[in-house]
Amino acid sequence: MDNKTDNKTTEFRVIENGPLHVKGNFVLQNPDGTQINVEKEAWLCRCGNSKNKPFCDGSHRPVGFRG
Amino acid sequence: MEQIEKKYSNGEITVYWKPRACIHSSVCYTRLLEVFNPRKRPWVNMQGAPTQKIIDVVNKCPTDALTWKRDDEKKNETIGPRDTNHIKNRRPDYFPRSDTPAGVVPAKPVSIRIMKNGPLLVEGSFIVTTSSGSRIKMANMTSFCRCGRSGSMPFCDGSHRTEGFKDSQ
Repeated sequence: MDNKTDNKTTEFRVIENGPLHVKGNFVLQNPDGTQINVEKEAWLCRCGNSKNKPFCDGSHRPVGFRG
Repeated sequence: MEQIEKKYSNGEITVYWKPRACIHSSVCYTRLLEVFNPRKRPWVNMQGAPTQKIIDVVNKCPTDALTWKRDDEKKNETIGPRDTNHIKNRRPDYFPRSDTPAGVVPAKPVSIRIMKNGPLLVEGSFIVTTSSGSRIKMANMTSFCRCGRSGSMPFCDGSHRTEGFKDSQ
């Protein structure tokens, strides 16, 4: 078997000092259980500073997030 | 490796906590802070709520970090798999292992739940690629840090609570 991910495998890619890139077959849910519509991939905030949570808005850069 | 397991009893039931299995999902303390309060020591107060309420919340623990059983062993014999999450430890025959064989892709989509003022709770079968490029294949459940303060990035270590992370900031 090759090592590449096909579109049925869900992959979380940690971007250095940046967001979490998720791609594949997944459902995203709010704390209240409602579903957030996303198309196959999303960039999720890891730094805690996005104004567009749960998504990344690029804030990790001006705040100097390391992780 | 032997797991540390702490026990808390109210004379009727004992709640078991395995710190190493805890993924800080926040399910217990957001539902029943009177019993599960991470700011207090001991963090479990068995006098904080009636037994059934404690059982209901323990059963919602997404991992087996929190489990329970009755102190009267005889009563445990009548507990069905729907009544407890501890039975999977005591009676593995009730829950046959469901590890996915290599190469088989489960059809079920991976569930990503945003926990209020907390981490991303991820359930299913998925791959994590770290920033150094190494790939970790995971099944079942994990939680990713959203507050930026975890000491075990990219995973949650509970720091969102001590750092006062808020979704609305």
